[in-house]
This record gives sequence, C-alpha cells and structure tokens, in this order.
Amino acid sequence: MEHRGEITDDDRRIAAEVSGLPEAAVYGVSTFYDDLLQPRGRRHIRVCTGTACFAATADAHVDELRHALGLELGDRSDDGSVSLAETVCLGFCHSSPAVRDGDLIDAGAGVIQRVLMGATRAASEPQWRSVIAEPVLTRPGDWSGLSRTLRESEPEQLLAEVKTANVRGRGGAGFAAGSKWEFARAAAGEPKFIVANGDEGDPGSYIDKYLMEQNPALVLEGMALAGYAVGAAHGFLLCRSEYPRSKPALDAAAVSARADGWLGENIAGSGFDFDVTILEGAGSYVVGEETALLACVEGLRGTVSARPPFPAQRGLYGLPTVVNNTETLANIPFIARHGADAYHALSPGATPGTKLVCFNERFARAGVYEVRFGTSLRELCEGLAGGLVDGRQIKALQIGGPLGGILPASRLDVAFDFDALAAEGCMVGHGGILAFDDQTDMRALARHLLRFGAHESCGKCFPCRIGLQRAYEQFSRDAPIERERFEQLLETLELGSLCAHGSGMPAPMRSLLAHFPDELGLA
Amino acid sequence: MLVTIDDQTIEVAPETTVLEAIHALGGDVPTLCYDPRQAPFGACRACLVGAEGARGPIPACTTPCRDGMTIDTRDVTARRVVTAVVELVLSELPQPPGAHTELAAVARELGIGDGLRWPGASHERRHDERHPYLALQHELCISCGRCVRACDEVQGAFALTATGRGFSANVTAGLDAGFRDSSCVSCGACADTCPTDAITEITLLNIARTTPGERT
Repeated sequence: MEHRGEITDDDRRIAAEVSGLPEAAVYGVSTFYDDLLQPRGRRHIRVCTGTACFAATADAHVDELRHALGLELGDRSDDGSVSLAETVCLGFCHSSPAVRDGDLIDAGAGVIQRVLMGATRAASEPQWRSVIAEPVLTRPGDWSGLSRTLRESEPEQLLAEVKTANVRGRGGAGFAAGSKWEFARAAAGEPKFIVANGDEGDPGSYIDKYLMEQNPALVLEGMALAGYAVGAAHGFLLCRSEYPRSKPALDAAAVSARADGWLGENIAGSGFDFDVTILEGAGSYVVGEETALLACVEGLRGTVSARPPFPAQRGLYGLPTVVNNTETLANIPFIARHGADAYHALSPGATPGTKLVCFNERFARAGVYEVRFGTSLRELCEGLAGGLVDGRQIKALQIGGPLGGILPASRLDVAFDFDALAAEGCMVGHGGILAFDDQTDMRALARHLLRFGAHESCGKCFPCRIGLQRAYEQFSRDAPIERERFEQLLETLELGSLCAHGSGMPAPMRSLLAHFPDELGLA
Repeated sequence: MLVTIDDQTIEVAPETTVLEAIHALGGDVPTLCYDPRQAPFGACRACLVGAEGARGPIPACTTPCRDGMTIDTRDVTARRVVTAVVELVLSELPQPPGAHTELAAVARELGIGDGLRWPGASHERRHDERHPYLALQHELCISCGRCVRACDEVQGAFALTATGRGFSANVTAGLDAGFRDSSCVSCGACADTCPTDAITEITLLNIARTTPGERT
C-alpha cells in the first residue's frame, strides 16, 4: 500500500492469509476505514474538516487547497505525485485550520500557503494547565497509585473505592466506571480484558490526545489498576491514526514501565501480572462506540453491535471486557493514591473528580485545562480561556462533541456538569468546548454537522444509515427545509437508531431549531 | 419469568427475546433483518415495540425478556418510527421492491404508499450475473446482513461480506469480483433469506423482473 498508494487484491489475499480471515471479510474491512479507502500520492495531504476548523474558516481552507491543487477531496493527481483527502479531526483545534502533510501536522495562520509552497512545519502543541492545586489528570503519571494499591489493598478494596468515588465515564456516556468493573469482575469467562478507548474522534476535542502524548504513563497506570480490580492480566489501548504521535508516546511509556517493573509479570513482587498492547485505528468516528471499538481491536469492520450482551459479559473475543475511555482510566491513580473522599472533595456539590476541557482556536487562550465540575461556562470561557480573539463575540457553544447540543451565548451561566447541561439539551460529553463566533452561519453549521454524521455512520442500523444521509441532503440543497418533516426525521433517528451516533446527531439540530430557527432557512 | 404482550401473559425461559415471546403467543411485528436461523442483529429497527417504563421504543429482536415486562406491539410511537424507517429504506432503492418480496410485504403491512417523505439519492445499479445459479443486484441491497450471516453462521462458506459504510454500505462476494470468483458453494442460503431480491436465483430473476413493483 505504501508504495502503490492503494490497496490491491493481492494485498487483500496476503492480509487474509496472514490474519486467517476469509478474503471476503478482508475486503469488507478494506472498504470501511478512511485510511484504507483514500488513494495516496507520493505526497499525501490531509486537510482537517473538523468542527474547530469549520469554526475558524467556514471551510475556506478546504476550498483553497482544493483549488490550488486542482484536486477534489479523495482524489490523486494523474501522475501520482500528490493526493488530497479529508480527515476529522487532527486534534490541533487550538490552532485551526490544520493540515497533515505526510506525517507532519501544520496548523494556524498561513498553513495553506506553507503547504502549497512545500514549507510545511510542525504546529506547536497546545498548552495545558490545572486550576486545581493537587491535579488528578495533569499530574505526570508516576505509578504511585498502583504501588500503594499493590502494597495495601486487595482487588475488592480497590473496586469498592472506585465505586465509592463514583467515577462517571469521561468518554461521553457518563456511565459509572465502578459498575462496569463490578459486572466484568463477576462475569464468567477467562481471561478478562481491559480495553482503553483512545479513539477520541470528537471534532474539536484534543483531551485524550494530551493524555496519550503528554501523560501516557498515567493512562497505562489506570489500565493496570483496572486490571488489578477486575482480574485481567492484559489491556489493549486503541489510539487514532489521526494522531501520529500518540502510539509512539504510549509505546515508549510502556517500554519504560516494563523496564521499571510497573508492567509485566509479578509487578513489584505482588504476584499481579499486567501488560498492554497499543493499537492504532484506521479512520472511523463510530469506532469510539464500545462495541465498534472491540470489533476494530479484533481487526474487523468497526460496526456497532446491539447490547445486551454488554462488553462486561461478552466483549473482546467473547470474553468479559472493561471498556473505559482513557480519561476515565486516568482518574483511577488519584483514587488509588488518595482515596474516594479526597476525590469527592475536588468538586464540592458537583460530580466527583475533575474534568479536562479544551477550547478551540476562537478563544484567546485555547488549550487543555483541568477544571472542577460545577464551574460556570462563563467562568470557563471568559475567565480561563479569555473570551474570543479579535474582539469577536460568542454566538453559541457546542460542548462535548458532535452529538452535543448547541448552547446559545445567552445561557453561559449554566454550570459545566452532567445534569445542568442535560437540562439545556446539551452534555458534558468528552469535554471539548467549541465556540462559534458572531459571524457563524448556523445553516452552514447544521450542514457541516450532518455531513460529518452521514459520513461517519457505520451503516449498520437503517435509521442512521439512511436518515443522516437524507438530513444532510436536505441541508445541501439550496431550498427551504420543511420543519415538520425534518423533525419527523429527527425523531426517527433519536428513537430508532442502534447507538448514540444516530440517536445523538439530532441533539445539535434540536438546539439549532430552538435557538436559531430564523437562520436555518425553514419553511 | 412472566411477560405480558398486548394484554396476554406468557411464561418464558430466561434469555428468550421479546420477539420470540411475541411469536410464541402467535403474534408478529414487522422485521427485515431477522431470520430465526441466525443470531439477532438489531439493524433494521422494524421490530420496535413499546415497553412499559422504557424511555422509548425497544427492538424486540435483541431485547431479552425481563420478568414482569409489559410489551405493546401496537405502541403508537414505535409504529410511527417503524413506518418512517421503512419509508427511508424504500427511498434508497432506485425502484420499488418486487411485490413478492418481504420488504414489499412489510411496506404493505405498514400502509406505506408511493409518496415518500424523504426522497433522495438511491443506490447505483450494478449487477453480477456471471454465476450459474446466483445473481447479485447491488442497488436492491438494504444492508440487512442476512445473506452474510447465512453464509457465515449457517453454511460456513464465508463468501460474503458487508462493504462500505454509511449510505454506501452494501454487500459483496469474495473480493468483489462476483460469486464465481469467491468461496461460494452455491448453496443458495443467501438468496433464500434475502428480503429484496438483491441476491436471487438466476432462474427466478426473470420472474422477479416481470413482476412490477407495487407499494400499496
């Protein structure tokens, strides 16, 4: 593939022989993932079409590249010298727009000119900081939580502590991590597995990217602690191919952990064995859904499966599996070291623990911040992130990913927490905070989100597979949207879809209908 | 455990699905991706029913019965969503399905007429008729997964796969060079289970093509 720039049937036959999969199954996989579908020229340019890049340029950066290269997205020049593809998202949302030239990611003002002149340079990584004196997630992982646990606690005690801490999943769904662990521990079947979900596909989010690349030891420590509590000796972490630095950083952290005796057999003389395998995805948003993630880890098409059975009962290779987001796992070392009471004390009167949030390029001080739950969005957006650049005003926010509702600027006093945001039709989600400024065309935003939704639908359940395509088509035509029919379509998606992708995409549409009806071109 | 379906109560064994309980009482709900010979798939959402206390309709095929559960197969919301889903499915085909197909029967049962609420792009016509017994008409595929599961779970030939994703999802044999160049053993299980004539026996193809599609 690297030499020819596309996958041939000979490649598929070899893959079938090596993997033991039927040829047809290999063909199915090769037509599912973006990385395997896009033809590559000798120079492969991927332009980020994420929502932060949309908020920065209204997609002008995409058009500029297309016109200058004379290529459509997904095309390769006739002489094979250059190819152009889209990618969602590169996680340089603090410095949009972003372009990946080979494995080099450039971002920010002038990026398109640099890429066209052959002067692509590495973009700077975002800043991060904690507003909490004793940080949970921005403290460099040092294995002290695992060390203390192996000396002082039985697996049942760690499990009880995590349950008492009431750790809610940070990947989007907010499910109690302790309950997942308890189900997996009690489930029949050996061996058991820990799977860390590092497939941070939310456009506008670079939280897991920060953790995996700047603090990988903390994530691996969380995985080892989960393994200890559940009775699993192996963990898999699936990171994204869109983040070319993640896998090397995680692999390096695993190598040092093995050298220091924190991964491997008989860790710290305790008799507990645990090791990890770091895998990289191939370009699919829905693989962030836990059943699709497991299919991807198994090397299959990343489509969603109906639950039950839940992964805790029948997960990876049919065995009991805990699937936790990387940020969720990064909370565990603090609990192991300081206990559930200290964890509760971090966000008084709100969801226990802390949360990483990140802001897009529209903010003056875009970056990753560790904050308390319950902080008002105004304090986060205007205080921490310094409001918007260039004297622009916030028109609306999208919080927690593409399935999150849109919060108008008039509601900025809402607290950043699960229940408070749910009451606004929004969510904590994964914690990305995207601002759209006063010049944003809300109909174009709806079209942008629906295009993403339709492109990323895994294609398994009928409402999402066809419904998102139809919704996108409606917003692509230069014609009024018939509101009643559109709302019927949203209901069909919400109530009919198999997973949160199809059932969640209507949330931002509902808020656009509620807060910006005059801008959508409704009939 | 006891479950109540449309005011009739039945005792079922653990792990019985709601759809199996409905069938055990002699009832039925529309289905498109369901085949009793295969593991439940949960893709088509045509079997959505109402369940007391649930936040919304539930899929009967993949939901296990719980003791004391109360199911309404005529739940208004569920029926409204199912009708919309089947309208969406009809809209992805370039022509109405043959009147003898399961898809056409489900559309008739739901009273879906010709006027579809969300018209749009349909699948491109592409045919594989090089195999002596089996024909594949890609544009009629609704990605129900029954042929792939029949091939994998029932026959064990592993000749078929789902392809693409999103609206481009489809099905193909082997490396997409047709049935003849795949590991197909010509058992016909795929054609037997296909609800739309996307995969059909060559001999039946002419019959299928001379039966004009009807939507009502």
